[in-house]
Amino acid sequence: MSEEVKAAPKKEVDPNSAKARLGKIIEDHYNNLWVAKEKGEKIGWCASNFPQEIWQTLGLTVCYPENQAAAIAARGAGAKCCETAEANGYSNDICAYARISLAYTELKDVPEQNMPQPDYMLCCNNICNQMIKWYENIAKKLNIPMIMIDIPFNPDYKVSKEQISYVKGQFLDAIKQLEEITGKKWSDERFKEVMEISNRTSRAWLKATSYCKYEPSPLNGFDLLNHMAVAVCARGTVEAAEAFEKLAEEYEESVKEGKSTFRAEEKYRIMFEGIACWPHLRFTATELKSRGMNMVATIYADAFGFIYDDFDGLIEAYCSVPNSINLEKSRDKRVQIVKNNGAKGLLVHTNRSCKLWSGFMYEMSRQIGEVCDIPVTSFDGDQADPRNFSEAQYATRVQGLMEVMEARKGGK
Amino acid sequence: MATVQQLLEKFHEVASSPQKQKEYYLKEGKKVVACVPIYTPEEIIHSMGMIPMGTWGADVEVKEAKRYFPAFICSIMQSVLELGINGKYKGVSAIVIPYLCDSLMGLGENWKMAVPDIPFIPMQYPQNRKPEYGIEFTKQAYLRVIRDLENITGAKFSEDNLKKSCDIYNAHNKAMREISSILANHPEISAVNRKDIFKSAYFMEKEEHTRLVNELIALLKAQPKQDNNKIKIVTSGILADSENLLKIIDDNNMQIVADDVAHESRQYRVDVPVDGAPLDNLAKKFSAMDHCSVLYDVDKKRADYIVNLAKQYNAKGVIVILTKFCDPEEYDYPILKGAFDKANLPSTLIEVDRQMVNYEQAKTNIQTFREVLEY
Ligand code: SF4
Ligand code: SF4
Repeated sequence: MSEEVKAAPKKEVDPNSAKARLGKIIEDHYNNLWVAKEKGEKIGWCASNFPQEIWQTLGLTVCYPENQAAAIAARGAGAKCCETAEANGYSNDICAYARISLAYTELKDVPEQNMPQPDYMLCCNNICNQMIKWYENIAKKLNIPMIMIDIPFNPDYKVSKEQISYVKGQFLDAIKQLEEITGKKWSDERFKEVMEISNRTSRAWLKATSYCKYEPSPLNGFDLLNHMAVAVCARGTVEAAEAFEKLAEEYEESVKEGKSTFRAEEKYRIMFEGIACWPHLRFTATELKSRGMNMVATIYADAFGFIYDDFDGLIEAYCSVPNSINLEKSRDKRVQIVKNNGAKGLLVHTNRSCKLWSGFMYEMSRQIGEVCDIPVTSFDGDQADPRNFSEAQYATRVQGLMEVMEARKGGK
Repeated sequence: MATVQQLLEKFHEVASSPQKQKEYYLKEGKKVVACVPIYTPEEIIHSMGMIPMGTWGADVEVKEAKRYFPAFICSIMQSVLELGINGKYKGVSAIVIPYLCDSLMGLGENWKMAVPDIPFIPMQYPQNRKPEYGIEFTKQAYLRVIRDLENITGAKFSEDNLKKSCDIYNAHNKAMREISSILANHPEISAVNRKDIFKSAYFMEKEEHTRLVNELIALLKAQPKQDNNKIKIVTSGILADSENLLKIIDDNNMQIVADDVAHESRQYRVDVPVDGAPLDNLAKKFSAMDHCSVLYDVDKKRADYIVNLAKQYNAKGVIVILTKFCDPEEYDYPILKGAFDKANLPSTLIEVDRQMVNYEQAKTNIQTFREVLEY
């Protein structure tokens, strides 16, 4: 809070700045949805890690329930929506994103973040299997088609050729189904173009996030949580590629000038594991900042960096997203990030919503701690249900982590 | 020939002593492979001369597993891991874990570190299991299980043996479907007895279990028709093996005439087709399976399936037995409830877990439900 007050007197945000551009992309994204809906176009609801190349190539209009749920939760309406879902018979045990989204099909107007109701569902379970149930239920309730690309959790380190051909079969089927539903036509030419742009965006995103490695980091790692929405919904657009390139340029500048969006002295560099606690974003960020702890490492950098050369590579990339890979590979990716970015502590969000992410997190974080020789602390929270979080516990755990990190500094 | 009572006692004994069964088979020189819910290719394990044993956890306190699982993972997964860490599966050659829900994935990933002496074999089932590419993927996943089993145990796989095992499993399916349906006419067989018949299937060689079940079928068929003044109900859920809970159902003069329980009838609805190559057939069996919370179905046909089951067996109501923290079932519940209400089929929801000690709430719930049904 205080930081933003300090930033006053408010300067007009430079419309050319990355922040303004990224903000504009999201704003346009939601505006375009309504325009399309009004024109009678069919609107899809899409899972965050559904191969966006498909709808982008077909020129469809889709939106992202996970982004919407995060926005609703961050703006304070998470509890209201969760309670609506619970009143309709949903257990408070299921993912809060799902509860918010299921509630939205009922409420239809949640000013914290509205978007049009869906005409079809695009599901991909490479982040979790709850996704399937959530989308099934909406499709059933609204009696709309659902396209399901099943990307099974991979128990092995490498993606098997069997898995690639299974997913490929579904990919091609999904195109056919969507052509039928929307009347749009697939073009291989356009597909190539979309793949190129998507790679460009991903490279720019990875580049921008890589600036966290500088000491001090030119950014408050929490910034990435906001920018991520663009990586999700606009990866196949030139605007997104340019905005992330601009972001990287700005970070480059900041490094040179010794500036940072982390507006405190960076005393401790940590990795933050898990989704943000959107309803308590400010609190969770402030507790860190006030102690000089900056998040310089997150798996989210990787999560939306889809780099590939061809169709098979594309499929493989979607089979390798963070929640679909085994413990060893998940661990190694994080160890790499910790090492590259010089994180000296690990703060783990045990997310009540997310059984997949939290199901083997204890063991994985223990291993990361051991391999990297850094302290690990976890706290209980939820990415969207504000009721599953305790400020006191969070503050105590963060303080504890800081103290161990401080003691270790002294020892070295 | 045994009497009905003797057979029921035998089922009870086996259902209550998986440890003893495991030791017995090990002593016989057989290899035992643990099979985690909800579906695993037991036929393959059987065909390789090993004993597949169902591993659905137990009603134990969770201590060690807490190092791996947060509290909000279902008690089946928690207790399987707990038993593994405590050495209760010692002697087992491998454990097959199907990746059918998020919590099962957690079990597999944790298992490798928590119970390193029992090799873990993942079974990656496809959700798009019906198209050709889905059937092919199932087959490839089976081949992987076969490879792992061969490497770990030295046993050899052959399609001929698989064919025989599929026949044995089909015969068992048939016996289980038949007994379930015959029991609807036998109110004297309690819910606890019924559970024993189903549960014992996981701890016995299938040939032997089929033989006993068929014996029971023959005996029951030979009996004169009984008056039935019990309240007929259908159960639905993942697991309903708690004797405390089943006794409450018995005490309230209720009779389970059919079930949609994963641990029970969901296992036996679909047979392996017989007219192709055995492994392809087995993959086709999975592709034909439906009406289950962990199998993708955008039409949610499970809801109507249960309604029809209730109609078919003249059940007056449905008891949904929900395993706490089981998200696949929790997502289905509002849809099921909607279908029950639409069909004017009374239902009630009871939450259970494997650490439950207090059944007072369940008791009150079932008593009230009885009143509704009797009204
Ligand atoms: S938070 Fe976890 S459970 Fe919820 S949609 Fe995301 S990955 Fe799935
Ligand atoms: S399906 Fe339900 S009961 Fe079975 S392992 Fe998954 S969460 Fe647990």
